[in-house]
Amino acid sequence: MASKVLQRVNERLLEENPAEHQLFDIILITTDSWQQQQSFSIINSTRRHGLEVSRFCFSKEEDFIESLMQNNVQLFLTTDGNEALQATQQGVPSALLDKNSASCPSEQLRVLFCEDAIIQPHAGSTAASQKSAQSFLAQLGQIRQKFGMFNSPVCFTLVTSRGGKDSCCSTLKSLRALGVSVDEAYCLGGAPRGPILSLLRPHLLLSDGFGQLDG
Amino acid sequence: MSEIKAEEKTAGENSGEQDWEAAKAVFDSLKTKVPRPPKPQNAVTIAVSSRTLFNMVAERKLYEDEGLEKYVAFQVEHENEPMKPGPAFPFVKALMNVNTRLRELYPDSEELFDIVLMTNNHAQVGVRLINSINHYGLTIERFCMTGGKSPIGYLKAYMTNLYLSKDSEKVTDAIEEGIAAATMFMPEKESDLSSTQLRVAFDGDAVLFSDESEIIVKQHGLDTFFEHEKEFENKPLAQGPLKCFLEALGKLQRKFYAKNERMNCPIRTFLVTARSAASSGARVLKTLRSWGLEIDEALFLAGAPKGPLLEKIRPHIFFDDQMFHIEGAKELGTISAHVPYGIGQKYNKGKLIEQPKKK
Repeated sequence: MASKVLQRVNERLLEENPAEHQLFDIILITTDSWQQQQSFSIINSTRRHGLEVSRFCFSKEEDFIESLMQNNVQLFLTTDGNEALQATQQGVPSALLDKNSASCPSEQLRVLFCEDAIIQPHAGSTAASQKSAQSFLAQLGQIRQKFGMFNSPVCFTLVTSRGGKDSCCSTLKSLRALGVSVDEAYCLGGAPRGPILSLLRPHLLLSDGFGQLDG
Repeated sequence: MSEIKAEEKTAGENSGEQDWEAAKAVFDSLKTKVPRPPKPQNAVTIAVSSRTLFNMVAERKLYEDEGLEKYVAFQVEHENEPMKPGPAFPFVKALMNVNTRLRELYPDSEELFDIVLMTNNHAQVGVRLINSINHYGLTIERFCMTGGKSPIGYLKAYMTNLYLSKDSEKVTDAIEEGIAAATMFMPEKESDLSSTQLRVAFDGDAVLFSDESEIIVKQHGLDTFFEHEKEFENKPLAQGPLKCFLEALGKLQRKFYAKNERMNCPIRTFLVTARSAASSGARVLKTLRSWGLEIDEALFLAGAPKGPLLEKIRPHIFFDDQMFHIEGAKELGTISAHVPYGIGQKYNKGKLIEQPKKK
């Protein structure tokens, strides 16, 4: 459950610094009209699970990106690859939620940077989307820096599936230049990614919205 | 330890194939003509840890004395300085040489060695590791930097045939999971090793074979052991943790034989055993034969120390289950790898050692 883990990160951030402003703010958005009719039960459900959702947003499918922008969303999480692609193209950084992560409880928010995970290369890279992607990454990086290397509630992992060691190395350095210090790195060199991903158990998959970091 | 790597049918097989094809495109486009690494199921995968590949003794001390953050900061500060070679370095270079020869004879085959860096170093240290790998021109294109997590799952994901590490706990875990593994030691003096032939030496009991016979020696003495081995001469011994690795080497050797390269084969294997040829040797040779495995040279020491003989053989790596033999080999310049398996772990120089309570 990505929200629970995000809350845990917030808790730890506040432990480190009770005056912390840079916290995760969770907004639940749905375009499904059936779900909107059930709005009352959704709100109750989130309360019952102890999820601190600050805002609920119901919008029509055509307008959901506008809603994202109106709400100043810095990272849009979804299990739907198409939604993620659309949002990225319009300048809202998006990440895929791992459908399996609900079944794997974790004390640590695991963020995976995976080149070409779902979105085709170059498809999402407008100047606007790159800029917002980079600024979001920088913020993520800052949050990570508030914790030490050991026992951190956030963990950044890089997986490169296609290139060799040099392309992985340069991605490591590019991310570092943006302020994101990756904790774990896996260079697959064409080996099947399934077995490795099933071990990594990421909550969030950040991919080609953040492509072309050298650009 | 599966002899044949089963074809992995995962749900993401389509994306797996896409990655595979895309990887070919990426590697083909590189200016330095580095071939795309083989599919894990076709290759003999050797996983080496960072401390076996490179000499990181000083850095390790820094980590132990001053903690993780200082250690990582130091590595990042020095990331453009290549590290010195570690105990597995000559072995890796010898593997690369075999690959070159294999590619000459079989340009389209994927039956090659694939070397994977398997470290639980933090990814930021990875930059220095990759720079060092590039400095020496090592063909290592795959790696896992697990940032502290156990490598066992990743070893399986890469279908690892052999895992080399400096950390005996990880090695023990790997062996318990059925992966051939050994803890490497740096020799005390330098040795001139072949640059044209990979030479691998194995102890017999509790390395290639199970420890069933060693149990008899330890518990009932040598005489009982000799009687037992004579009686059961024709009954093959059970297999030990390194048997599958010997088998993988044999498979590659036969590729050279098939092309009339037996005299010039770049892989040579040695059995170096404390058994004596006359009284207990036959069972060993018959067991190997029953497995369809060949070993190029079988040396029966009848209890004599292994060090001097190994000094003559000059293997790139020598596997033994008993620290006593590892020490002897190290002293005389042999790169040794301890296999923590079997009853030998409970004894030192023939005496039962007190086992520390498990944490």
